[in-house]
Amino acid sequence: MGLINGRASFVRFSVEGELPENTWDFISERVALFSFKDIDDTYDENSIGWVSPLNMFDYEFEFGSYACGNYVTLSMRFDERKVSAAILKKFVLKEEERIKKEKQIPKIGKGQKSEIKERIKSELVKKSFPVPSIYDLAWNIPDSTLLFFSTNTKAQALLEDHFKDTFGLTLIQQIPYITAEHILDEEEMHRLSQITPDVFI
Amino acid sequence: MDLVDIISEKKFIGQEFLTWLWWKSEERGGSISLPEQGDIIVVFEKHMLLEYGEGQSNEKLICRGLQTELKEARTGISIGKKLEQARIRIEENELEWSFTLAAGLMEFRNVKLPKTAALDENIEDKEKESEGLILERIFLFEELIRIVNGLFKLFLDVRLGSYWQQEIQKIKGWVGRSEAEV
Repeated sequence: MGLINGRASFVRFSVEGELPENTWDFISERVALFSFKDIDDTYDENSIGWVSPLNMFDYEFEFGSYACGNYVTLSMRFDERKVSAAILKKFVLKEEERIKKEKQIPKIGKGQKSEIKERIKSELVKKSFPVPSIYDLAWNIPDSTLLFFSTNTKAQALLEDHFKDTFGLTLIQQIPYITAEHILDEEEMHRLSQITPDVFI
Repeated sequence: MDLVDIISEKKFIGQEFLTWLWWKSEERGGSISLPEQGDIIVVFEKHMLLEYGEGQSNEKLICRGLQTELKEARTGISIGKKLEQARIRIEENELEWSFTLAAGLMEFRNVKLPKTAALDENIEDKEKESEGLILERIFLFEELIRIVNGLFKLFLDVRLGSYWQQEIQKIKGWVGRSEAEV
């Protein structure tokens, strides 16, 4: 969210690596290959892929709706089946009680407890609905820069991996020191690397 | 050095930039001259976050209020806290942005874009409307980045130059004045 309307929070990345000459054909092919795959009717734990920023259910891009002037505008959709810790705890304890009664035993061993937890977790995950998260991006092709509309570090890590998988290109977050590399010459950059924190007291 | 090390070791560069920018904006009543561009308005307002220490001993101080009440934040700087986030208003020509800059990582948060004719216009063709509006918004996001990078370059030129020692004396004087006022 943020690219299309309302207030926005974002971080900036540089895009490192070469795009082939047939840039837009390549992007089209790769976006289609790594677009979002719905998991509502499966038991998969999660799914990640590209969707249109205008519609989270548009992941076929029939009209190339990600191309916007010299920009690629996409949303990264991440659906994940989650089970809250409290629910997991409740059903694990319930199952432990059932087994104790059934086998007429006072206690359950550590190994079996762990097995029960894994089994119950897997059953609950299958029963839960995938929760979607959507994050917009705008990729400036001529400048090789990208705005990602989230300051969530987990989402940024997912983006870096999915972008690399899709396009074979690396994203470098433009923190101040890295930004400086783009606006200073070599000698100035050397001086910047040598400075230490100053005090304003 | 990998990115994680750079983030922790060089975080101070962004924080010093934000502190310098605050002082710079007050030096000439909110007006800052950018090379090849002229004067723009930079105003620090309402909300600031200062921090002190690293890792588990990290402490945060949030200051809210009108401009004059941000003296508390300057007092924070005078006892060694670092300015990590600030709500800033930037005006360039007819355009006005309002945003929170998280300095350590250069994150732009809660960005309110200028109102422009293109954003207000009601275009009949929905598809064109979407593409036009998105391009307009991207232009305004990138314009804000260009201005902030211009200010950052201004800071780096001073910070790496021989003039820094004089500049930091002025900043120390400004920080000290706030202590006297509180």
